[in-house]
Amino acid sequence: MSRAHATARHLHKDVPHSSASIERMPAFPARPARRVRATLNTAGKWRARLGNSALPWLLPLTLLGLWYVGTERGWLSEQVLPPPAFVYQTLSDLITSGDLWMNASASLQRVLVGFVLGAGLGMALGLAMGLSKTIEDYVFPTFNALVQIPVLGWLPFALLLFGIGEPLKYVLIAHAALIPVTLCTLQAFRQAPKGLLEVGAAYGFSRRQIVTDIVIPSAIPPIFTGLRLGFTKAWLSLVVVELLASSEGLGYLIAYGRQLFQLDLVMAAVVVVGAVGLLIDRGFEAVERRLNRGRPVTLGRLQ
Amino acid sequence: MSNALNHSPGYVPHKNGLRLENISKRFVSTAGDDTQLQVLDNVQLDIEPGEFITIVGASGCGKSTLLRLILGLDEDYDGRILLGETPIHGTGLERGIVFQDHRLFPWLTVEQNVAVGLKNAPLSAAQKREAVTEHIKLVGLQDFVASYPHQISGGMAQRVAIARGLVNRPSVLLLDEPFGALDALTRTRLQRELQHIWQHEKITMVHVTHDVDEAVYLGDRVVVMQPNPGRIRRIVDIDLPRPRNRSDARFIALRDDVLSDFAELS
Amino acid sequence: MSALASTYKGSNKRYRGWVLPILGMAVWWLAANQGWSTSGLLVSPHKVAETAWSQVASGQFWRAISASLARNLSGFFIGTGLGLILGCLLGFSRLFERLVGPSFNTFKQISLFAWIPLISVWFGLGDVAKVVFLSLAALVPVVVNTCDGIRNVPGNLLEVARVYRFTRWQTVIGVMLPAALPSIFTGIYLGLVYSWLATIGAEYLLVSGDGIGNTLIDGSEHFMMDLVLFGMVVIGLVGWALNTLARKVERRIQRLYGITPR
Repeated sequence: MSRAHATARHLHKDVPHSSASIERMPAFPARPARRVRATLNTAGKWRARLGNSALPWLLPLTLLGLWYVGTERGWLSEQVLPPPAFVYQTLSDLITSGDLWMNASASLQRVLVGFVLGAGLGMALGLAMGLSKTIEDYVFPTFNALVQIPVLGWLPFALLLFGIGEPLKYVLIAHAALIPVTLCTLQAFRQAPKGLLEVGAAYGFSRRQIVTDIVIPSAIPPIFTGLRLGFTKAWLSLVVVELLASSEGLGYLIAYGRQLFQLDLVMAAVVVVGAVGLLIDRGFEAVERRLNRGRPVTLGRLQ
Repeated sequence: MSNALNHSPGYVPHKNGLRLENISKRFVSTAGDDTQLQVLDNVQLDIEPGEFITIVGASGCGKSTLLRLILGLDEDYDGRILLGETPIHGTGLERGIVFQDHRLFPWLTVEQNVAVGLKNAPLSAAQKREAVTEHIKLVGLQDFVASYPHQISGGMAQRVAIARGLVNRPSVLLLDEPFGALDALTRTRLQRELQHIWQHEKITMVHVTHDVDEAVYLGDRVVVMQPNPGRIRRIVDIDLPRPRNRSDARFIALRDDVLSDFAELS
Repeated sequence: MSALASTYKGSNKRYRGWVLPILGMAVWWLAANQGWSTSGLLVSPHKVAETAWSQVASGQFWRAISASLARNLSGFFIGTGLGLILGCLLGFSRLFERLVGPSFNTFKQISLFAWIPLISVWFGLGDVAKVVFLSLAALVPVVVNTCDGIRNVPGNLLEVARVYRFTRWQTVIGVMLPAALPSIFTGIYLGLVYSWLATIGAEYLLVSGDGIGNTLIDGSEHFMMDLVLFGMVVIGLVGWALNTLARKVERRIQRLYGITPR
């Protein structure tokens, strides 16, 4: 009973001491205390912020500068690298002459039709496969196999079937959009959150209610991601298709400019293509962010 | 039960004693207003070498923050922390840690994970190997040396983490709610194992937990902390012999005594 | 604990996937045989097989496919190599990321194919231009995923490195790179896929030399549907093979890390 009164400090008396106490790590050589950065005063903060936002412009501006100097000094022939001024001039010419609008609207119209077709079909397919395992069993393996052939692989085939007209472009763009949309929609319906489904079951939801009140609302964000991916792919394939087989459109401008060795035209068109694609993608992203409010966000992988 | 004085009179800094002097830490709100959060307020504590100290408190009382300061992951505070006679700066191999999430490297086996603790230790390769094997045996996982973290259970992973924490024979082992993520049965078993390991290694341990039962079961002294601002409310001596019995009347009395602190606070 | 695969495949269900393709083939064969369409485009499966055989036997197929693959792989390796370097720089250096990151992000938004005309002017229509294009195609996903992987190393593992006094070099090699490896690998996988896709496109647009894409274009120009179909099958098979290979390696790495594959 005497042990009960032993204080903690003498505890080790109870445990037989080994003759050599265990060698412990010596205190590490002390580094000088790391100086914690004091909060910057306002002036310092402004300077830091300015510097931070200026940095991203450094590289493009340097390149622009080099480009300008290069063409001034004639390091490269004008046909290989037109001066920036030319490109700018061409761009404004395109705008004022209405050419840009004509070609851009042709492209946009194509991509819209193709996208709506492809996305609509894709959603229907994804819905059918997602909701019914039977359909998925029959259809998905074939779908998967056909997906292995890239859109460009289908081009010659579609060319033979449809000729060079508009339907060709619609079909190819639709195909490009269809794949991501189907896959994402399928995923969305496959992965209806189990926990919520069980709540529905517990409260006696009818099958229809489960679909409309649980499955569909929780499927909307992934479907939207699919739409966004689908649009990106559609826009990308639009450019390729127009490069190869069209007589108007932004891609056509690029090809035309290259034929005539007018690189300023090519560059101007590329800039427009990039800008439009970016704008639309940002629009999708904004909507996607609103949809995903309050959820763990998994933005669609673009690249 | 006497509340031990935080600083014993005539305290002689022992080679491995840990001393916390006037530790204070403040978080300033980033929202632009002037709100400040006093996470730790003038904490003072002396820890004897070889002692098992448990720190218990509700969330927000600063106990985990205190541990991070002792560990050296955070150097932004007022006051001093001394190991023996040397104030600490930054991390050091003489202070080991077991985190609540085991933090084993997923791409290394159990054996390799324990060896991580010795990566920068001044030992020969053979000595390192020996230390690793010895500590794996200490936690009873010698049959799993070649397994990967995802192949073993949470309790086993935590044991690996304990082995890693001990393998370089630190002067102090810090444990940050090491059993918080485990189920009750595993927790009880690991508490017993931890006690055995401590008795075997005779190492100073500072163990943070929110479980009063665990604190009284394991500790020589229980440091009760309170939040807002974080400070030590009191220190309770646990002079019960080991192995401790949770059904023992004295144990229950001590535990209830500590618990009563929390009833007041709510 | 690694998740247990819970799918219990009924033995009859596996055959369901074959129903559609077999039906499709049957309809196709019937259509060709019965002459449902007079267009020269309706070639029978028989004819396609014949063409396939002649292509393989005459060595044309091997020439084409090896040319395509050679270009693909060189572009892929160059692009991946450069991409890893660039990705690491972007991941490890905050300064570099601020300097180059935004420009790179803008660059990757522009459809790669839009660069082809420029590339063709600067590098001609031959193999060099194609490899440049392919390298770009592989580079983008590698950079993005490598950079992401390095930036997203879990902070709590980095704290362990601090506790055990890892030097900066040890932290990079011992913690950051292994932790980023799954992501880096995803990037390389995507790079492989994208550079293969780009290979076909490059052969259409930079028409010179040999390649499977060229075979396809030939077929469409000469209205030889059988050749076109043959080419498509080959492309699909190669794409599938690359995909499967990359996925296998990816799964091994995931198993090592205890990431349960979906």
